[in-house]
Formats: sequence, structure tokens, C-alpha cells
Amino acid sequence: MASEADDTPLVGRADTLDKICHDLADTGPGGTAAVFVTGESGVGKSRLLREVAARATPGRTAVLTGACLDIGDASPLHPVLAALRREDRGFDTDGPDAGALLDRVSRALREVAGDRRLLLVLDDLQWADRSTRQLLLYLLAGLGEVRLSVLAAVRAESLQGTHPLRRVLAELRRLRSVRVVDLSPLDQAATRELVTTIAGDTLAEDADRVFKRSGGNPFVAEELSRDLRDGRVELSDTLREIFLSRVDELPRPAHEVVRAVAAGVEPVPHDLLAAVVPLPGDELIAAVRAAVAHRIVTSAGDGYRLRHRLVAEILEHEVLPVENAGLHRRYAEALTGGDDHARLALHWQRAGERERALPSVVAAARAAESLYGFAEAHRHWTLALDLTAEDDPGRTELLGHAAESAHHNGEHQRALARLEELAARPDGPGACQIHLRRARYLAAAGRSATAETEYRNALAVPGCTPAEKVTAAAYLAELLLHLGRYADAGERAREALELAEQLEGSTADRVRASAALGFSQAFRADPDAGLAVIRQAVAIAEESGHPDDLGCAYLHLAELLTGPLNSLEEGVLVARRGAARLAEDGVGRSYQLRLLAIAANGLFRVGQWAEADRMLDAAMRQRPSGADAVEILLARCRLWVGFGDVEAAERDLDAVATVLAGGGARHVLPMLTLRAGLAMWLGRHDEARAAVQRGLTETRSDDLVLLGVLAWHGLRAEAEAHSGGEVPVDRSAIRRLTVVVERMAKGVDSAAPPVRAVIDGYLDLCAAELSRIHDQHDPAVWARAATAWDKRNHPYPAAYSRLRQAETLLHHRRRAAATAALRAAWTTAQSMGARPLAAEIGTVAARARIALAEDEETPAPAAPVAESGELAALTGREREVLGAVAEGLTNREIGQRLFISERTVGVHVGHIFDKLQVRTRVQASRVFLENRAA
Amino acid sequence: MTESVWGPVHQDMCALLTRHPEDVPAVVDQLAKLQDVLERIPPLMDGNPLADFNRLYLRITTSVLERLYEGRFADPQFLSRLDVEFAARYFDALRSFGDGSSGCPRVWSVLFTRMAGPDPRPLPSAAAGVNAHINFDLPFALVTTFDHIGSDPVDDNDQHLDYLQINDIFAEAIPDLRRGYLEKWQLLLDTMNGDLDDWWQGEVVEYTRNVAWRNAQKLWACRHDLASTAKERERLDGTAAALGRLLLSPLGTFLQ
Repeated sequence: MASEADDTPLVGRADTLDKICHDLADTGPGGTAAVFVTGESGVGKSRLLREVAARATPGRTAVLTGACLDIGDASPLHPVLAALRREDRGFDTDGPDAGALLDRVSRALREVAGDRRLLLVLDDLQWADRSTRQLLLYLLAGLGEVRLSVLAAVRAESLQGTHPLRRVLAELRRLRSVRVVDLSPLDQAATRELVTTIAGDTLAEDADRVFKRSGGNPFVAEELSRDLRDGRVELSDTLREIFLSRVDELPRPAHEVVRAVAAGVEPVPHDLLAAVVPLPGDELIAAVRAAVAHRIVTSAGDGYRLRHRLVAEILEHEVLPVENAGLHRRYAEALTGGDDHARLALHWQRAGERERALPSVVAAARAAESLYGFAEAHRHWTLALDLTAEDDPGRTELLGHAAESAHHNGEHQRALARLEELAARPDGPGACQIHLRRARYLAAAGRSATAETEYRNALAVPGCTPAEKVTAAAYLAELLLHLGRYADAGERAREALELAEQLEGSTADRVRASAALGFSQAFRADPDAGLAVIRQAVAIAEESGHPDDLGCAYLHLAELLTGPLNSLEEGVLVARRGAARLAEDGVGRSYQLRLLAIAANGLFRVGQWAEADRMLDAAMRQRPSGADAVEILLARCRLWVGFGDVEAAERDLDAVATVLAGGGARHVLPMLTLRAGLAMWLGRHDEARAAVQRGLTETRSDDLVLLGVLAWHGLRAEAEAHSGGEVPVDRSAIRRLTVVVERMAKGVDSAAPPVRAVIDGYLDLCAAELSRIHDQHDPAVWARAATAWDKRNHPYPAAYSRLRQAETLLHHRRRAAATAALRAAWTTAQSMGARPLAAEIGTVAARARIALAEDEETPAPAAPVAESGELAALTGREREVLGAVAEGLTNREIGQRLFISERTVGVHVGHIFDKLQVRTRVQASRVFLENRAA
Repeated sequence: MTESVWGPVHQDMCALLTRHPEDVPAVVDQLAKLQDVLERIPPLMDGNPLADFNRLYLRITTSVLERLYEGRFADPQFLSRLDVEFAARYFDALRSFGDGSSGCPRVWSVLFTRMAGPDPRPLPSAAAGVNAHINFDLPFALVTTFDHIGSDPVDDNDQHLDYLQINDIFAEAIPDLRRGYLEKWQLLLDTMNGDLDDWWQGEVVEYTRNVAWRNAQKLWACRHDLASTAKERERLDGTAAALGRLLLSPLGTFLQ
């Protein structure tokens, strides 16, 4: 049978093709690359995809091809799973969570690839479901450990509206490893070439007419050229007419084949077509042959397709509704009993048989839920409701599913609307349940005040059972805690706990209430009592042994300890124990990952970086996905920035950005502070400034801790720009940052005591950086910052503060004090492995000729390189001074840089003049430069 | 389309539009640079319909940025995303108009094609731009923003209240649009029928911004259905383009 091979050579795309092949091989730091080809229908995207795939060397690249379906409600991960199935790589989709599923898909992809690189080619990505998009981001972030290049085609038309890919591509295109190629129509010359290729020598005016009529769209141009070649009368002015006249020319049986394929979901396998088209075997094959020969249908190993989606769209309107319904019924009948529920549901629906569609729709919804495709499941549940009459007894259950799946998807409005319908059902859940669910949905929608009222309503319902009361009170306590109403939260939590005493099996609520109570007490300056309550919650969870209870309780305890209580060592211990406890039972993967992230962040703060590194390694081995992956990657990136491993830091930041392209605003701000931190070590103060500015615009004005981190980063960037002299200082940025600092200072008093301590620490750092910007050389402000962070047991900012303190001390020529500060900072930085910080301490020490270890020789200053010629007569210090003179610095500036007095500089300069036998600075500089250049 | 869609500044425009600003400071920066380029378009240099609109837009976005720095929004992350996504649609329209590709919405083409002609009436031009941006771009920008931050357009939540704050900024920036011209516009629109008449009551910007919010909610409901969103897009484009044409027609002089 005819293959899909295109008989027309590719015209006008040679450069694009080369570039795409090059870009696909040009992987980013994570070892992955992607090219997204966008363009209008018929512009040749699919063709380009096939050409690239054909170029791949089989020994080095494994190619996997899939296409997304436009049936709206395809099953989750359809294109990738279908591609894997074609490779006979079916796999078990049962698993404990969505992350495990992604992991299994990655494993299957790795098996296909073997030791080769994998090229995943995806056509019609605009129809991809949410889970497929998430899988792609997971893989591109390198989380699946597949050496992967993705080549995908997206219809440009769909990106203009509200399509989620619009934002995804906008975020991804900032990465070095992702390219978005906009495929434009052919120009006049290329169109002419295409016409000549197909129709042979033609009149220039004919070719130009084709260009004009096709607008350079290769698909249309090709068809018009064929008409030209075949001497067809130009009756047809539109693509629609061209194709309809082609179809009309087909023999009758072939006509039927075309219609059947048009009604089916591509690819249509031969067996299925045979079941739908009532023709004997031989005749069917002859009919398919005719349809292929007329270039309407193509045939591939997995079945038949129309030659182009544009053809399908044309034919769609040409089939009578009755005819169409008959075809769909035959499809549905042929598919009944299979496991492709989504496809079956589609055919029953289009056949107009609502009752028969319903079971497959429900089955499709459940199948989607089992693959964690909650967005798809929600659409199936909604469809099921559309297919059910108001008085159908099954409707109540469907409403419950629809509301809950909408809630899981963040479709708050719909969740609430479905819940109202559910509340109106005579056989619906009780009033208390409805209030509880409504409150949960409202809270998720950010409507806290109404949610609070709803929880209170739930508690006030006369028929409310004690168990429901406990649940309502526990949730209410949690909500109040988030609203910062600690006293009210504590009260409600106590109420829940008292009620729960007499109840069996309310562990989850007790854990929730205990956590709320614990935090509320900690925030109200009774940390010990708070701690005791949460420890109690851990005990309750240990008793129940349920993974959610355990995970939740350990998480709260670890968060309380490492957060507001600042008992870092203990918090780390608790987090590790919790993770180990869950790992023993092999449950609660997401909780384990979050606990490991807390432990790693705690270890980072206490300066045990090597240990934190090991912890994050262990976490990464668990193959996190989604928000968990982002947490772990951010924690690891923080370490890389501290260690000064730029490449690894950039890799992890890119991975975070890739995952976040799918959404997840909460993590953007930590990512920005890391970007700023990294940029500063690299001396790119303007990049740091931009990251901080974006952070400031996107931070809530009441989040003083985050504002503190950002303001410090921002001021530090300006201070370093000020002292470095290469990047100009931005006065308006300083002004804005000062306003932020003032806002923090004003707000700090009303913050809860544990939060206040953190904000104070950042206020100290900000004040100190400001003094650096204003050349105040004030050791006291830095000393205060160092002490504050010492007290909090955070050695890293403390060591940083000591370094700056030493600089100011040296400015005042207090060498002994400066030496002590530098040595203390040095020891800390060395023990943590904070290489960039240590290097900067080393530079300052060398410039001031301070030995960092007591038994160490006074280090040689950084500048001197083996000198020859006239400079050989100078001492190292003199060469340093001369270097500064050559830069055009004044004695005063040189003194500041080398931490010596202006007068001493003068003495050095005098000696230099004598030794070089020169009389002016310009002459001295010339000697210096000439000898350096040699 | 020939290479000189933007006349002598074509290259500068294209170079500028290769950038895709990712935060509000970058959007303001891009708009400011765009203003410089637009004011170099002959013959009037600083007075063409697009420059008039861009100036107004720059002013409004600068005010948004100031408020963000001042911490005056309840959900700054939402508002920043919205601002970036909103601006991206304006830049996209400029880009596709410059490429000569088919993607440029009609409502924008109406304004862009009048670039060359000196228009002595800055107000209707600015209004035509505001019309394209609010009546057409805004609902789509809202939907993509909500989709991205994992929330949905619910009345009276923090995001809605932040969104409404922008009305104040518009009011500060274009008091004339709000008042003097309103009665005249009303009169003009009274002579029209259908859609336009329905959504043209009360205060111009506030009202249309509310229409945008409602349209976003409508789009939100059908956002998974590519065919319906395309249809809705077509409808909004058609209606807004009709109004744009009206604003820029000789009748628009009536408003000045």
C-alpha cells in the first residue's frame, strides 16, 4: 500500500530544516533541547517534522512520533502513551501518585532510547491535554533523566486566543535550550520553485497566480500546481472547492472510505475501517487504494489518515448529519468492549445516542482520574452531567464528582456552582456536609471571609454530627491561622481537640487542629506550649500510622521548628526522622520530599552544606515532579550559589523555570532571589537588580520577610556596583529600596515575635548595605548584623557581615580587629565550602596583607605576576600601587583599595619614581603598561 | 506586504519587538523605547495615532508599576502577570502587523493602517487604541493569566478588586475620555444598533473594563474548546473593530 512518503521535494525550507536540526542537538545545561514550530494550517509544519525525523541517524537517535487529537477529551498523556504503545512499550499505569506515573513514563522512554538520544516528535501540540503538557515540562527540565530533544508543531491560530500553550511557550522561550520557530508562508520565489517542481516548466504568470491565490501557503500552492499540471480548469478558487471536486471524482466505494476516515479518530486502523465501511475485503482495499491515489487519504503502519487536517475540516461540513450519525454509530459499535473510553464516548455522542454514551463517559472520567489527569476527568464528569436528565437518580453522584474534580483543578467558580446543584438534590448530602464543602471551595478560591462564615454555618447546623463538628472546627482553625488571627485560631483548634477526645477515627482532624493550635501559640509568644501540642499530634499520627497523618504531623513539627522557633538542628532531625519513617513503609512520597527539602534548607542555614547536599541527592533520587521538584531544585540551587558552582546553579534555575512554565506563582519569588544572588557573584549587578525589581513588584506588601530578603539583595547589588565601579549604580533603585526598608521598619512591630526576629536581621543587613553605598565605612552596623545572625545561628550571613565589617575596620586602619573579623569569616566560609565568599575574603585579606590562618605566611598580594625588565626592581607592594596609578586612581583612592593611608601611598609612589627613574605618574604608567604588554 | 510597513523606522520597530518583556518594569521599558521610535515616524513625527495611544498606555503602565512598588495591590503576582500578558498582546499585534502575517487582529489593523496619515485628533486615536486593547485584548489576557496562576475569575475576590483599581488609573490618565466626550459618544452610539449599543452605557472605560471581565468569564467557561474560543475571538474582534473604525472615521472628529 502507498506509504506516507511525500513525493514532492521540500521547497524553500532548507535553512529552517538545518537550523532546527542544529537547535535540537544544542542542548541546554540540563541535557535537553526543544524546538516548537508554529505556523498557520498548511504552512508545512508536519512535513518539516517528518523531514527532521527522517534525518536522524538511527544509531545515535531514537525517534518517537506522536500526534495530539482534536477530540477535546482525549485520554491523559495520549500522544506519548500511543507512541510508546506503537513501540510495544505498554506499561502498567497503576501507581500511588502522579509523580510515580511520570517516572514510569520516563523509564519507558529511557528503554526506547537505550544509549541513544531520544527525539520526541509531537504534532498538533495545541490539542495536547494538560497532563501531556506537564509531562513535557517534566522531561525538558531533565527530571526524567531522559536525554531528550522535543520537536513539536503548534498551530499559530490557536496561540492567539486563550490557549495555555501561549504562556507556556512565552516562559520557555527565555531558556537557552528552547527555540520557537515561526514558520511563515513561502515567498514568491520559493512558490515559483514549488510550482515548477510539480507542474514542470510553467509560464511565470501562472506561477505568480498560484502565489497570489495561495498566499504562499505550500499546501494550497501544491494543490493548485497539480491542477495546473493536470490542465484542470480553474473552477475552484478555494481549497474547499479544490478538494470537493477531487472527492467527486472518486469511485463510489472510495468516496465512502474517505467519509468514514473523516468521521473517525485518526489514525483509523484497517480492521476498524472494515467494520465501519460495509464492503467486502477486496473491494475495500481497492477503494482505499483509489482514495490514496487521489491524494485524499494516506496510509501508515498504524492506520489511515486524511492527507491533511484541512481536508478533514472541509469534509466535515459536506456529510449529511444523518449519514454522519450512522458512521459514528458503526464506529461505536465496533469499539464497544475496548478500553479506549474517550474515543467510544465521542462516537456515541456524535451518533446522537446519549444514553449509550454515558457509561463510556463515566469510564473515561475514571480512567483519567487513575492517570491523575484531573482536568480531563473534570471535563468527562461535566459531559456526563450534560448527558443526564434532571430526574436521573445517578445525577447526584455525578454532581459530587464534578464538583470535587473542579475543586482539584482550581475551577472554583464551577466547583461552587456544581455544589449548589448538589445541595438542591433531595438525595444529596446533608446540610452540614454542603456547608463544609462550600467553605473548603471558598477558601481555595481566596474568599476567606465567606469561607469563615460557611464553616461557622456548618458548626451551627442542628443536625451536625460530632465528627463533622470536629472537621469544621479544625478547618476553621487552619483558615484563621492563615489569616493571621492566631488567638481565634487557637480557640477553634482547642474546641476541635476537645470534641475529638471522645471520638474514634478523627485522626486527620486532630492532626490538623493540633498543628493550628501549635502554630498559633508559637506566634503568640508561647513557643513551648505550641511545640508540645504539635509533638502530641505526631504521637497521634504515629499511632494511626496513616501516611497522610504522619506526613502532615511531621511536616508541621519540622516547619514550626525550622521556621518561627528557629530551632534548626532539632527541626532538621525531626524532618529527617519523618522522611525515614515514611520511607520505611514506602508511602507518602510527596511528604517525604517536602520533609527532605525542609531538612536540607535547615542544614543550609546552619552552615552544614555538605550534609544538605547529601540530603538533596537522596531527594532527587526519589524523582520528584511538579511543586515537589521545584522545592528540591530551589534548595539545591541555593547550595550551588553558596558553593559558587555557577554551571550547576544555572542548570537548576533553568529546570525550575521549565517546570514553572506550567504555572506555580508561589515559587517565582524564591527563584528570583536565587537569580539575584548568583548574578552578584558573577559581577552582573544589573541582572541582580532586574531580578530584585521584579521580585519587589510581585511581592505582597504584608510579606515582610520576603521583602527583607529582596531589599537586602537589591541593596547589596547596588553596594557592590558602587564599589566595583563597572556597573553604574541605579539611584532610583536605591530610592525604591529605601522606601521598602522604611515600610519594613514600620511594619516590624506588628509582626509576630518569631517573624520579627527574622525581619530585624534583614533590616540590619539593609542598613549596613546602605551605609556601604553612602561610603560611611561604619564597622558598627556590620558588627550588629553579624551578631544578629550569629544569635539566630545562621553562619552564612554572619560571615558575610564580618567580611564587610573587616573592610570598614581596615578603612580606619584597625588592623587587629579587622584581622580577627576576617579570620572568623574565613573559617566559617571554609568550613561550609562557600567558595565565592571565601575567595572574596581572601582578596580583601591579600590586599591588606593579612594572613588568614595564624600559622600562615603573610600571603603574597594578588597582583604580582613574575615580572621582568624595569619592573623587576619594584617590590610586590610597589607593583600593586603602580598598577593602581596606571588605572588613573588618586593616592586617596589607592589607599582605600589597599587599606593603607594616603601618605603611605605617597611614599610608595616616591620609591617607584626613583626606581623607574621617572618624574610623573604618566611616565610611570607608561613604563608599567609597556612592561605588562611585553 | 512590503518591508516597510513601519516606514523609515521599520528596522527599529522589528528589532525592538524581538524582545518579550517578562515583568512590569520591562514592559514599561519596552513601551518607553517604543514611544521613542514611534515619535520618529514622519510626517508629523510626534503626532500619529499609534504614538498617541502608546503615550497613553505608557503613562497608565507606569502608574501600575508605581502602585506595584508601593505595595497597593492585594495580589501583586496576579496583577503583574496580567500586565505582562496584556502588553504581550499589543506587542504581538504590532509584530504580526509588521510581518504581514495573518495573525494581526482587525481591531488593531484599523489603527495601525492609519499610521502614515497625520491625524490631528489625538484623542480619538488614543481611544481607538484603548478600545482595541480593552475590548479585545483584555479578556484574553485575563483568561491566560488566571489559567497560569491556577485560579479563576471570581467576582469580588482579591484579584477582581485589584483589577478594578486599574479603573482609577485610567480615570487619572484620561479624565477627558471619561467626561467631556462621553455624552457625545453616547449620542453617536445611540444612532447605532445591536451589540455596541448594549455595552455602551455609563462610564466608558469602567464600563468596558467590566465588559472585559464578563467576557473573560465567558471565555473562561469555554477555554478548552478551541472552536468556541476561536468563534468568540472572531466576534469580539468584529465588534471592537467596528467601534475602532467609527472612532477613527470623520465622525470621530465630532468627539474632539
